[in-house]
Amino acid sequence: MRILLTRRTVLCLSAATCVLAFAGIGPAFAQASGADAFIKTFATDLVAIVNGPEPAAQKKAALGPVITRDVDVSGVARFCLGRFWATATPAQQAEYVKLFQQVLLNQISGHLGDYTGVSYVMTGDTPQGSNTLVGTTITRPNQPPINVQWVVGDVGGSPKVVDVIAEGTSMRITQRSDYASYLGQHGDRIDALIAALHRQLDNTAG
Amino acid sequence: MRQANLHPSPARRTLAVTLAAGALTLAGCATKPPATDADATQDYEQTNDPLEPTNRFFYRVDDTLDRTTLKPLAEGYVYVVPTPVRTGVHNVLTNLTSPVLFADDVTQANPQHAGDTFMRFVINSTIGGVGMFDVAKGFGYPAHTTNFGITLALWGVPAGPFLYLPFVGPSSPRAVAGRGADTVLDPFTWVPRGYGLLTVNWARYGVGIVDERAAYLSDIDHVKASALDPYATFRSLYRQNTNSQVEAARHPAPTTPPSWETQPAH
Repeated sequence: MRILLTRRTVLCLSAATCVLAFAGIGPAFAQASGADAFIKTFATDLVAIVNGPEPAAQKKAALGPVITRDVDVSGVARFCLGRFWATATPAQQAEYVKLFQQVLLNQISGHLGDYTGVSYVMTGDTPQGSNTLVGTTITRPNQPPINVQWVVGDVGGSPKVVDVIAEGTSMRITQRSDYASYLGQHGDRIDALIAALHRQLDNTAG
Repeated sequence: MRQANLHPSPARRTLAVTLAAGALTLAGCATKPPATDADATQDYEQTNDPLEPTNRFFYRVDDTLDRTTLKPLAEGYVYVVPTPVRTGVHNVLTNLTSPVLFADDVTQANPQHAGDTFMRFVINSTIGGVGMFDVAKGFGYPAHTTNFGITLALWGVPAGPFLYLPFVGPSSPRAVAGRGADTVLDPFTWVPRGYGLLTVNWARYGVGIVDERAAYLSDIDHVKASALDPYATFRSLYRQNTNSQVEAARHPAPTTPPSWETQPAH
């Protein structure tokens, strides 16, 4: 009886500790696991498409909706234009975002499209300001594994990918410096950038 | 004497090249934007590329050389030599850099990396068949890379302006100094002339360049195809990558016991 009572007390105590612990770290835990679960779904969907038996063009078509669903495309587009966003007319902004979406899709399918047998593991996450960095290690056949961090932000109340950091290099910072340099070489004209993006898409369409 | 005049000595040739490069450098300075344009000034400082016109010139030279020589060579290497052999060659080359890597690990005050490098060199040079097979990895001594440029960064040396060097690629004064130190630290460069080992060293450099280029075939193609300004994109990638390597060296991962070591019971 004594032993039973003691055991019950211990059980109750540990249960209480658990509840307290969860109450204490509740919000942070929920946020982190939310970003984790979000990336898990996103990465699983990407990998399923990439590893599928379909030809490259069909894979690319299937990637489109997943990207639009989970990536903050217009936010990333705006970031990549940097200080030039404010100088663009609304019509230029709209056209640029539309082109950027296609460029992004080309880049992602270009990076992943050639491979089958892609797999990933989650490596934990770290908060970064209001965003969460979700770590993954991606393995491609005959290639060294790469460390990819997905930056997940809250966009209009739902989690979205706002940046991808591969081996310490941020996709949106690299893209921004590419566009800034191109604009600098072409008299800061947004039209020149839009024309270049059109040409780039025409070249990769074939 | 006449002969000597017709064929300038290597030292003289180096001097001539340095002078030419210096003249080009002075001629090709990027103009700093006026202080009134705050955004442009910020961009200029972030890029830290005051020698941009000269750097772009060398980028174009390097790009032409790469397209006509190095890339086809690397592609041929990948096409002709089967993957296991290429992996073996890569492992041998990596193993030969162990003494330098060890010195870098020590100067970075990273005992775990230094220990890994030491054990890897001992294990792979012996039962790994002169470094052909990476046996040490399976024993819990994983590979890592670093260089003396990273050591200098940890010692507080700033990277300095961006440099694009022919045959080397994206660089900085700090990286150049680091490369120099790594060459001096490499015992294989202490070999006296006339023992045939010099030829081995040149072969090692040659194969090393092709091996490295082959590893980046699709990545470099991808950047060249997707960037509007590949030079600026390589510059940004290089900077970010170096910074992340320095950060990783500054905060080494906590010590983990090798996988074969008995784990304490929880």
